[in-house]
Amino acid sequence: MRETLEYEITVNGEPTPVRARAEATLLEVLRTECGLTGSKRGCDQGVCGACTVQLDGRPVRGCLTLAANVGTRKVTTIEGLAGASALHPVQQALLDAGAIQCGFCTPGFVVTLDALLRENPRPSADAVRHGLSGNLCRCSGYVKIVEAALRAAGAQS
Amino acid sequence: MKFALPETLADAIALLGEDGARCLAGGQSLVAMMNARLVSPSTIVSLRAIPGLDRIESRADGSLLIGAMARHADVARLTPRSPAGALFATAAGLIGHPAIRNQGTIGGSIAHADPSADYPAVVLCAGATMHIAGPAGNRAVSAAEFFRGYYETALQPGEIVTAVEVPAGPRGGAAHYEKYSLVDGDFAVVSAAVMLAVENGCCTAVQIAVGGGAPVPIRSAAAEAALIGTPLGEADIAAAARTLAEAADPIDDFRGSAAYRRKLIPRIVARAVAAAKRKLA
Amino acid sequence: MSTADPLGASIPRLEARDKVAGTARYVDDFVRPNMLHAALVQSPFAHARIRSYNVEKARALPGVRAVVTGADMPVRRVGAMLKDETMLATGKVRYVGEPVAAVAARDPETAALAARLVEVDYEPLPAVLTIDAALAPGAPILHEELASYVRTMEGGSQGNLMWSSRLVEGDVDQAWAKCDVILEATFQTQAQQHAYLETNGVLAEVEANGRITVIAACQSVHHVQTRVADELGVPMSQIRAQVPRVGGGFGGKHATNIHSIAAWLARATGKPVKLVLSRAMDMEIQKSRHPSRIRIKTGATRDGLILAREADITLDGGAYADESPNVLAFCSLMVRGPYRVPNLRVVSRAVYTNKLRAGSFRAFGNPQGTFAGESQMDELAAKLGIDPLELRLKNAAQPGDHWVGGHTLHTCALRECLGEVRKAQKAAPPLPPPAPGRKRGVGFSSTTSISGLMGTSASVHLRTDGTVALNTGCVDIGQGSDTAMTQICAAVLKIPVERIAYASQDSDLSPYNWKTAASRSTYMTGRAVQAAATVVREKIMEHTAEMLECSAADLELREGGKVGLVGVPGKELGFKDVAMRSLFHVGGPILGYHGLVYDGEKFDPKRTLMERFAFSNLGVYTFGATCVEVEVDELTGRVQVLRAWSAHDVGKAINRAACEGQIQGAFTHGLGLALYEQMIWDDDGRLANPSLADYRVPGILDVPPQITPIILEFPEPSGPFGAKGVGEVPLPGVSPAIANAIAQAVGVRLRQLPMTPERVLDALEAEAT
Repeated sequence: MRETLEYEITVNGEPTPVRARAEATLLEVLRTECGLTGSKRGCDQGVCGACTVQLDGRPVRGCLTLAANVGTRKVTTIEGLAGASALHPVQQALLDAGAIQCGFCTPGFVVTLDALLRENPRPSADAVRHGLSGNLCRCSGYVKIVEAALRAAGAQS
Repeated sequence: MKFALPETLADAIALLGEDGARCLAGGQSLVAMMNARLVSPSTIVSLRAIPGLDRIESRADGSLLIGAMARHADVARLTPRSPAGALFATAAGLIGHPAIRNQGTIGGSIAHADPSADYPAVVLCAGATMHIAGPAGNRAVSAAEFFRGYYETALQPGEIVTAVEVPAGPRGGAAHYEKYSLVDGDFAVVSAAVMLAVENGCCTAVQIAVGGGAPVPIRSAAAEAALIGTPLGEADIAAAARTLAEAADPIDDFRGSAAYRRKLIPRIVARAVAAAKRKLA
Repeated sequence: MSTADPLGASIPRLEARDKVAGTARYVDDFVRPNMLHAALVQSPFAHARIRSYNVEKARALPGVRAVVTGADMPVRRVGAMLKDETMLATGKVRYVGEPVAAVAARDPETAALAARLVEVDYEPLPAVLTIDAALAPGAPILHEELASYVRTMEGGSQGNLMWSSRLVEGDVDQAWAKCDVILEATFQTQAQQHAYLETNGVLAEVEANGRITVIAACQSVHHVQTRVADELGVPMSQIRAQVPRVGGGFGGKHATNIHSIAAWLARATGKPVKLVLSRAMDMEIQKSRHPSRIRIKTGATRDGLILAREADITLDGGAYADESPNVLAFCSLMVRGPYRVPNLRVVSRAVYTNKLRAGSFRAFGNPQGTFAGESQMDELAAKLGIDPLELRLKNAAQPGDHWVGGHTLHTCALRECLGEVRKAQKAAPPLPPPAPGRKRGVGFSSTTSISGLMGTSASVHLRTDGTVALNTGCVDIGQGSDTAMTQICAAVLKIPVERIAYASQDSDLSPYNWKTAASRSTYMTGRAVQAAATVVREKIMEHTAEMLECSAADLELREGGKVGLVGVPGKELGFKDVAMRSLFHVGGPILGYHGLVYDGEKFDPKRTLMERFAFSNLGVYTFGATCVEVEVDELTGRVQVLRAWSAHDVGKAINRAACEGQIQGAFTHGLGLALYEQMIWDDDGRLANPSLADYRVPGILDVPPQITPIILEFPEPSGPFGAKGVGEVPLPGVSPAIANAIAQAVGVRLRQLPMTPERVLDALEAEAT
């Protein structure tokens, strides 16, 4: 009744076999097939940003990406960003700045900030705000997130 | 549901001929609708693997050829060589949010023809031509004829936009895209795309299109003609803006009533023209 | 970690590392073998009788394991004060989207398909979508059996009048005559949705003995246990409620039927059942903030002394009462503002309409009343020719006052808060001048809210290795209570935070707590933790006194988990030694437990007449002030807040960064209420914008880059280390501060929220003509 596709995608450097329906989104596949539940479902409409992952290093909405259409593009999720022994500078900065409240938006922010700082290692506060314009947070009012991002940028350089 | 990844345009067209087949460009509208269970295609035809469909050619003469699969983020990054280039780059950079821009495509946006989206007004302002491929072959349709109504275009069943051909715009001119929305990243309530050139204090060329003011983007030859030769003063612009507002048939929704949109059109147009003028200086 | 004082320290949340790494588990992250997925069938009508159901097609769909409708259960009504609601619609539907049936199937797609196959035959009835329509003579009645519903107290419920209350202090009728200036105006506010990033969800599973465990994103495991037991008709001992990490609550993850629905399906199928709401469904079936209409009248002498205030409050409660009676009461209580108001009369009503129920949402009726009251304060100031801040200072409640209901204000730093925001705004570097066509204004407001309410408890256990187990029923919904409780415990015992294991909440294991709400966690559960830890400290002292053969009075706790003889540095024992001695030698672990119900002053009935007020004793007031700088675009009407200052006296900040984050977050909710958010129903009663694309919560570019929290600390005598709550108090003052700033900028007064650009433009044009 429902056609199941079988293909492979590279997630956090690991070639990962997938078996899913054609309409399965990348978010769904990551969470159910790959057991990577760090990317969150907040709206399924691409608005909230909680599902943000990277394709070839560029932030995209996991909920608006068909997993079958990923092809050879490399998928990076929140799980792929922390180092083996230490947190990613963005993660550490968010933690230190007290920028984390309920935490549901946090993975999306980390993934977005990682890409932002790679593209622009010394962003202004304004550039940070524009870069994060697609990530909603309902707890923090964003102020400490921006502080953390600038701190992480400073720590990197 | 089936998923297809054709490697040639011809294969894609053939697949799209099937009943219930939908083409997948950036997916930012289609997948959202699928998630909401508003559409349920029998086959998804991804255009991702068709070579050359995402090319962005910014030519020496200032004209552009933008492939249908060009992502908004890539258009936003192009180095403008003409007013049209500047217009497209600015507008593309205001679509949605960064993550949306990394996947959304010009072809997908234009084919979707949401009256509150950004590209339709921009494409109309620039007098662009849509290159279309379909079962009956290739054809070209001007922007003026492409947008027919709410989410309705000149595309026939099985046809897709393959590229957008954009003329350079007025030589030595400037461009501006003014987007007015209630919150950042939202659809425009009203938007205005402008390209103009001024010589010896007088307007020698002007192109203005309004988005969000009707089921399709609006342009007025009469309004533009009336501005030629003027110094683009307040009264001149107000008159042109009024003409555009009169041609408008705004929707009434919770982002704004029709009356509000109608009130805004002249103001947003005036802002856009003033901003373009400032860029000339 | 160091032995630095944990009190006030901005330590990261205990679970921050998990959250930042993506390993924190929220309810949708849990999977179980053979887990089923639930889907809900929703009413297409705002008001209709249910004639019959046909579930055969749904049941027959391969992969479907259970279908349940309202007809499959005895009528068991629940509700906070007025029990008017059933797990699934029974006999009638009362709002578009109301769940009428539920399906459990092997995967979400099959469940959704099965839900579409459930056929329900309705007899549509006329619906009432507004307060006025609902109260009009001959209006269709939502709850025909209202008179027979169980209620915890009499609420004057009749027809579509859900509840009514009255509050009187002094004699307003006499007082008007003494006023030189009287202003009267009506203010309106809209339905706001919680829009937590994580939607409501639950995973229910049955054990072999028939007990059902419910893992719920919730604000109280004890409440979930009670409600699920109620709705399933089983003893509480048969239900176990647990809570994982919660992605925001704000009042919207409390009191929902979905936990019971999942539990029912789990029981019916014998399999685990997961129900996680889509964003659209969460917005359609959970709850909203109460839309309000408040007519408010204030009278003062010519030198600005307020003599009287009168308010007529009507709240649109939607289809079910939920916590409307409580919201109504709190709105009535707070509408006087944080002022000395010698004569007060508040008449209030909550009304049934055929829309989504309104219920608890951060600040709980206070934003509605404060928008009205604090807007009127500025209008009064203008009429009197007095500076708006001076007017507030002149009438501010002060320490020692007998205030609401005669409550003694042991501390009141309102004037200090007002002073701080004024000072901060004046000292702020000037902004570059506005672009042409844009005008700027500055606006102020003052607020107050409570943190003492209902019951809570805590237990502390000193383990034989010197570490501590801390156990409370306080659910952390993201606001940082896990961390705050741990810091309090650490401070009492003088041990590093790392030595304390804070248990998650489980109705089988956690000592009772009412719920996470009303800004009460730090104050109430913090008190319980402090007291329980103090019991442990005393027991440590007693044991040590025996072990060292001295008097307990000669002992002191030392940093790092030690206890020793005062003045004799070498003479000390580690907690480990004491704990082991207790457990193995004396016979029993060192345990401390403390439970309390809010025990502050009661309302004085001789001073305050409170009729049908739906709450028990409450108090402990946090005062605050807000200042905003706005810019109004005169061509579009768009309002932007450029900078904001929010000062609150929190008694003692247990975790400074967390406190700042709460202030900034609450401000942002207030900003959304003021400018951007509204739930919109069409003429058929359908929610027209159940998506984050069309219901716009403020994004980073909509929020001022600078929201400066200013924390004042005037210790609350009864609070743990002087602390009291701050979660809600920064919210209500935002919309009036913005309205006041708009008035200053462009000379128009907006009395309806949200203050959309269109409304601002309309007001500007009306003013110009």
